[in-house]
Amino acid sequence: MIDPLTGLLDRFGCLQTAKQLVFDSQQSGLPCAVIWIDIDRFKQLNASFGHLGGDKIIISLTQRLRQRFENRAEFSRMGGDEFVFLVTDCAQPKALALATEITQTIEAPITIDKISLRPTASIGIAVLDPGEESLSLLERADRAMYAAKKKGGAHIVCSGEEPVPGRLGVVLAREELEIESKLHVALESGGLCLHYQPILRPDGTVEAVEALMRCSANGENIPPGQFIPVAEKTGIVIRLGEWCLLQGAMFARHLQLSGFSTKVAINVSRAQLISKKFTQALHAALICSNVRPDCIELELTESLFMDISETVQNNLKNAIAAGVGLAIDDFGTGYSCLANLKDIPAQKLKLDRAFVSVLPEDRRALAVVRAMTQLGHELGMTVVAEGCERPEEIDALLGAGVDAIQGFYYAKPMPEEALCSWLQNRGDHATGQ
Amino acid sequence: MQQANECPQEADVERRMEQSILDLGIPPCPTILTRFMSEISKDEPNYRLLETLIGSDVSISAGLIKTANSSYFGLHKHVRSGAMALIVLGLRTTSQAIAGLILRNAFPHVQNLERFWDSSTRISHLSGRLAQRLQLPGLTAEDACTYGLFSNCGIPVLLGRFPNYRATLEKANREANASFTQIEDLEIPTNHAMVGCLLAQNWWLPEEICLAIRNHHEIQALDVNQPSIPPLSRRLIATAQLAEHLLHKHLGLSQSLEWDKLGEACLKVLKLTQEGLEAIYQDAESLMNET
Repeated sequence: MIDPLTGLLDRFGCLQTAKQLVFDSQQSGLPCAVIWIDIDRFKQLNASFGHLGGDKIIISLTQRLRQRFENRAEFSRMGGDEFVFLVTDCAQPKALALATEITQTIEAPITIDKISLRPTASIGIAVLDPGEESLSLLERADRAMYAAKKKGGAHIVCSGEEPVPGRLGVVLAREELEIESKLHVALESGGLCLHYQPILRPDGTVEAVEALMRCSANGENIPPGQFIPVAEKTGIVIRLGEWCLLQGAMFARHLQLSGFSTKVAINVSRAQLISKKFTQALHAALICSNVRPDCIELELTESLFMDISETVQNNLKNAIAAGVGLAIDDFGTGYSCLANLKDIPAQKLKLDRAFVSVLPEDRRALAVVRAMTQLGHELGMTVVAEGCERPEEIDALLGAGVDAIQGFYYAKPMPEEALCSWLQNRGDHATGQ
Repeated sequence: MQQANECPQEADVERRMEQSILDLGIPPCPTILTRFMSEISKDEPNYRLLETLIGSDVSISAGLIKTANSSYFGLHKHVRSGAMALIVLGLRTTSQAIAGLILRNAFPHVQNLERFWDSSTRISHLSGRLAQRLQLPGLTAEDACTYGLFSNCGIPVLLGRFPNYRATLEKANREANASFTQIEDLEIPTNHAMVGCLLAQNWWLPEEICLAIRNHHEIQALDVNQPSIPPLSRRLIATAQLAEHLLHKHLGLSQSLEWDKLGEACLKVLKLTQEGLEAIYQDAESLMNET
């Protein structure tokens, strides 16, 4: 319970005292606060003066704090250069005043080995919320201290006043924060699922099914247009993408075992592909699902074209070596350009829906579709058109030579079981391969 | 497996649970299965013992957690352990799903998994005890147990796929400088930490546990200035590494150099001084016996 160096309560003593503090506060109705102090650049001081020098600094600071704050707060050493003050009958203004006084006490010069030092501290404050437990109170104070540290040290931050970062530390607008929070709920409570939209060849056979993510949290659906941008901004998109990779691969295995030869196309985000761990994640999904790699096709988002780095090229090469197929998604708009076609070893080209919705009236669009299709074929690729909703569009696309079509006209995205029934009803059982 | 007095919903849950365990591909430990079935067949089964047995097996815990966390149950509170999942799903459904697996002899025989079963159970239990003792902010014994149980769940999956993987593990255990997963990455196209993380995500486990599994051999993950790793993940990794170190030190379960590579950083995360560690060494026997 007692820290041998300073004679203060140690971490265990602090946790016990904090429990008591919270209990007393809840009984009396008086507020209480935790002030978490971390000495700035202590590591550097230790390196310069050795551990003995570091110990001297800690002892000297403890003496000062004792002289000034004895009987005004319970304080303890949490190990290393961290101290915690537990203060009864203390709302935020009083805690702030106390923290300022602590700062002044710490900042007075200390002489070690004839060198005068001016230590500074980063301080975090948390005032007990109704119903809160002691561990949570301590954790908030600790987090506020880290926020003070991030400001460069020598700062005081009250819990709740930190710039509001998401769980991954990205600063977000309030609305986006709500979506981020729902995404985390979805990821931890079975709120994600995949729906599958068929891609059909002109003869009516199924070329593949595209896995499309659906997300819900606490019974509320979140449209992809809302959750995908937030997922991309916060980096959660990697976790979503990996979840999708394994889930899609497991479904492909299920289709394979059920006698369907249909490939499953899985979207892969730019964030996944620029990661050095992509290859390991892909193989992990293939191994866990035990699926034949040629039953999987990765759809590469067009934003990938912004920067095809060496890592991206290696990841794509490794994916091909693993035996999965590659498709370029949303081709023809955004960042995609013809020059990139030679760098990406894809076997499939999916034309952006923007070209489809204006067919057949827009003759110029039709000419572009025809040219892109021809180019795809020259490169040995299968060309697919997305977003078809009307029969006139289908006629125009088939006339332009595309190899397969995806869209509401043929089938909407559907859950796993519905897709299996759909395939069964079409007699697609055990075809090909 | 559906019985005459079983309602269709129960049968559905039972089917989901069986499928989750089968999808994982890690065979449950036969001893645990037998002990579970023998206890459940009693007139008044000991619930605590059943909880302990479930919490001791990677495969059954994972199957239960995934089923309980699926949107099917629409729970607002996330299930974070096998024992909690048992409460949600009920004894009857759980036992029927487990009996189904035994009857159908669903798993191929995988040799030498005893060491994995034994080590994951011990690390899980000891991690829980250490979490209780260390009292670090946010670190509960339940999370420490769940993490300890699953942190190496990728290993049996890879053992089943790569004939030479056991040799890779031995090599990684002997490696003094490069990280464990770096050695795996040189020999196979993935590593057990990545496999474990993908599986944990698939079971809807909390992000902190998934990230801890993914990064548990990375020294950088234990750096407090690493913003992409939540503090709880760091604490989980450090607690289980310490548990493993204690087990190795006292029982000689396995010989690896992980503590030499990560021990110092773990102590920092756990805010343990050398004296604090010595005190734990002294109490290690009683901590382990409690398990």
